[in-house]
Amino acid sequence: MAHNSAPTTASPTIGASIVAKGLTKVYGRGSDAFHALGPIDLDIKPGEFVSLIGPSGCGKSTTMLMVSGLEPITDGVVEVDGKPLTRPISEIGIVFQDHLLLDFRTAISNVMLQQEIRRLPRAEMKERAQALFAQLGLQGAEEKYPWQLSGGMRQRVSIARALVHDPSMLIMDEPFGALDAISRTQIRHDLEMLWLEKRKTVLFITHSIEEAVGLSDRVLVMSKSPGRIVEEIAIDLPRPRPAHLGEYPEFSVYAKRIYTIFEKLGIYKF
Amino acid sequence: MKLQSPSPGRELALAWLRSALLTVLAVCIVMGVWQGLAAWFQVPVWLFPKPSDFMLRFFSDFPLLLHHALATSRTLLLGFVLGVAIAVPLALAIVSIGALERGLFPVIVFLNIMPKTVIGPILIVWFGIGPLVSVVIVFLMCFFPVLVDAMSGFRAVDPRLYYITRSMGASPSQTFWRVRLPASMTHIFAGMKIGVVKAAEGVIIAEFIASSSGLGYLIMRASGSMDMTLMFSGLIMAALVALVFNTAMSVGEAVLMPWTRRPE
Repeated sequence: MAHNSAPTTASPTIGASIVAKGLTKVYGRGSDAFHALGPIDLDIKPGEFVSLIGPSGCGKSTTMLMVSGLEPITDGVVEVDGKPLTRPISEIGIVFQDHLLLDFRTAISNVMLQQEIRRLPRAEMKERAQALFAQLGLQGAEEKYPWQLSGGMRQRVSIARALVHDPSMLIMDEPFGALDAISRTQIRHDLEMLWLEKRKTVLFITHSIEEAVGLSDRVLVMSKSPGRIVEEIAIDLPRPRPAHLGEYPEFSVYAKRIYTIFEKLGIYKF
Repeated sequence: MKLQSPSPGRELALAWLRSALLTVLAVCIVMGVWQGLAAWFQVPVWLFPKPSDFMLRFFSDFPLLLHHALATSRTLLLGFVLGVAIAVPLALAIVSIGALERGLFPVIVFLNIMPKTVIGPILIVWFGIGPLVSVVIVFLMCFFPVLVDAMSGFRAVDPRLYYITRSMGASPSQTFWRVRLPASMTHIFAGMKIGVVKAAEGVIIAEFIASSSGLGYLIMRASGSMDMTLMFSGLIMAALVALVFNTAMSVGEAVLMPWTRRPE
């Protein structure tokens, strides 16, 4: 209940812990039932940056939605900050692959939707939104409509929308998937800097080994049908990490481990 | 393209003025030829009036025309507002409730393809000769396009947006007013623009058959006495009424939805 006490204040929040046990998703019933996911266990510490990586259709997005209470759980339990999850968490920010901005609102007013719906103090939230815009390199974009912004900038606005209310966790479903490689590297760094400052718990879903290793404290590698976590890799690299991750010899060791798992799972056939 | 244009607003205004002037010029040429031919062949006014005849009549009988134009506009506005006010909530209900969609939508599709004016004589029996019959016909004319487009608008909202609003703890009414309705507005406006054209058509026909005021009534009465210039003046007035309503829609769209003012 602590995660849904009506008007949430914008007091600084530290990251939440997320614990899941035996998380399972089955679609349909009886002979038509499709076992999509699990059982999987998660133990994410407050302020940790964890990536889920795996092939399409392995249930990464389902995991993310179940952990945030947005998708019903077939079996298993989720605890956020030690409290069992009973309804959608509100102290959360979500970023999808598509920016999902409202095209009838300007960039800043898309971010301020959080303030309007949560009924948070307007002036304070506007200040926070503007600070986030500055940190994300969005100065001058405040009054522009989404169609006037580039793909990378739209995604930055949606990151600002996910963070403006100071949530304790951030879930990102392939947030950079639709961007070009150059924007992707820059936005990865900007997200890392933001995370280093705010230390929210981040659950990051990706198809990109480089992104997973470049951002995470831990990478969870998933297999397909049913989706399971097959390996957990702690990434021990100094932060902030460079644009060219190859500067670290350890990077190729981590990347190699993930490629090897993918080959073993039959995802890559070389 | 935006390299060497110092002020795009001014250039747009100039382009608009140029096309407006061309239109006026074209109309003047057509009128001039018409006037010349009718004068040359000495066509009688009761058969085919010259532009000078009906333009003079338009100005001399302007108060009469205006009176009936206002009556027509009132009917049109009332029927149109009623149509939108019922079509939009009904569209939301149909989209939200599966049983309604399966049960009601085929009926609506059938009513939509049915010619709406055929209901006129029945309405006369029910309501008598008067503006109410016209209002109902206008309502029927614009109801369906708005309903169909509002339905596709409500459906077009990306369902993942609701994950985001739910994570914000949004109530259903907050989600509707702040996300779903504005996101559907472009579709609803498209339906309203089609609806207003159909309504302008319908109102005149309705006034032909069952009215004691309005431009349709005036034109029908003039037809009875073969008052050709009054009929042509009424035709011009009817076109002006339709133009006013169409312009109001375009202006309303630009004012209410500034985000749609994007360059082509």
